[in-house]
Amino acid sequence: MKAGSNLEKVLEGGYFAVTAEVGPPKGTSPKVIQRKGELLKSYCDAMNVTDNQTAIVRMSSWSGCILLKEIGIDPVMQMVVRDRNRIAIQSDILGAVALGIRNVLCLSGDHQRFGNHPAAKGVYDIDSIQLVQTLKAMRDEKKFLCGEEISGEVPLFIGAVENPFADPFEYRVKRLAKKVKAGADFIQTQAVFDVIKFRKWMEMVRDQGSDKEVHILTGVIPIKSVGMARYMRDNVSGMSVPDEIVTRMEEAKDVKEEGVKISLEIIDQLKEIDGIHGIHIMAVAWEDIVPVIVEGAGLIPRPII
Amino acid sequence: MIVTKKRDFKELLDNIGNYRRVFLLGCSECAALCGTGGEPEVKAMKEALESEGKEVTGMFVAKSGCQVLGTKRELKPFKEFIERADCIVVMSCGAGTQTAVELYDKKPVFPANDSMFLANMTRLQVFDERCSLCGKCVLDKTGGICPITRCAKGLLNGPCGGSQGGKCEISPNMPCAWQLIIERLSRIGSLDNLDDIMLPKNWDPSLDGSKKEGK
Repeated sequence: MKAGSNLEKVLEGGYFAVTAEVGPPKGTSPKVIQRKGELLKSYCDAMNVTDNQTAIVRMSSWSGCILLKEIGIDPVMQMVVRDRNRIAIQSDILGAVALGIRNVLCLSGDHQRFGNHPAAKGVYDIDSIQLVQTLKAMRDEKKFLCGEEISGEVPLFIGAVENPFADPFEYRVKRLAKKVKAGADFIQTQAVFDVIKFRKWMEMVRDQGSDKEVHILTGVIPIKSVGMARYMRDNVSGMSVPDEIVTRMEEAKDVKEEGVKISLEIIDQLKEIDGIHGIHIMAVAWEDIVPVIVEGAGLIPRPII
Repeated sequence: MIVTKKRDFKELLDNIGNYRRVFLLGCSECAALCGTGGEPEVKAMKEALESEGKEVTGMFVAKSGCQVLGTKRELKPFKEFIERADCIVVMSCGAGTQTAVELYDKKPVFPANDSMFLANMTRLQVFDERCSLCGKCVLDKTGGICPITRCAKGLLNGPCGGSQGGKCEISPNMPCAWQLIIERLSRIGSLDNLDDIMLPKNWDPSLDGSKKEGK
């Protein structure tokens, strides 16, 4: 075991993992995170806390992780390189480990132009692959990026993301290989709606053997409304939502029910793909639906290790 | 070249405030090419300031405003006009403005332009930023296309998940630098340049790290 987190145990134990995502509040109340945590606790193995997602200022990821930990949930601390230089990053990692956080997901972060402080200076001192590499060296060699020694252990289960629907398509698997080489233990992907394209991507992943070196958890986003389906299809770069899904939502009598049905169908198909070790459910502003989906997909009870 | 953009005239007037007599200093290099500090622009500025009740004591377009010694020599004949002025307005880039600051220690100096970036001029007064003077070139590895400058996140191991259809997520008008890099490396048979992870960059020689010593 590298970090001994619940997520690591589940994945190393060969179980099909379920993770979920919590967006922290634009405010100071711990209740938002605590409520979501209590709600989803029995339905997932670990919960990601986003890091100022879409560059909108929210409660910090590490503090959200601590709130989850306090109620017995294994948190995944998301960390973007947009807002911190290498000094702040490494310092935050030391603090996170001291507080018992074991899983860290490394991302570059949505560009600051999309957020509520578009005038902010993007940091990008190191990139997401270099972040993975930095954490690996902190854990395995107990060294900072500058080469100096770290006192104490740095048990981390290191995650990275990959978007099979971004371009250039053929290069995405090579970039995944780079993340694995950098030290990623697990990967959470962008949400999958276009299963055919995803299957093709996984085929390429298997061809280069990456599925044997890293745990891949596929992203799933339950669609709550017709507007959301259209928005993701038309406005979110790096997302691929087939027209068929939008049409199904448009024609549905009960849109929410249809949204759940679509998610369950996708999960069923994902389970059949070789090399997928779990799913990561990002129920943006619809966390309440996660139990329904996990149960519907036959993924409870969650393993207790 | 350095691209400059005229500052809002009202802003310049606010800067000048109650100073009445102004000396104008342009630059015949980049600012002239940008249409922000060559002969015609300096003349137009003179008229604009005069119509606001200012007196222009003199004007000159330096050969290269960023050359301190050369500009000093060129400005010698203008000594008395500059002395008569309450302030100097410089119509070049920030480097030229600071040449004037160095030469005229006791005079207030105001910039007429904002300095934008180091640019390639692709057509007349159409500019593209391709180099950000980071102090340590990576073009040898990236097929001659700079990710530090042309990727919105400056990623050394791109592309990020926001690259789609060859465009960057931040604007449909902006090509994804990493798409360009991958295409170019494929064309010249060097895509394996990207197999190795590029290590964290030493920003120290760049302005992002500390002041360049320029030796």
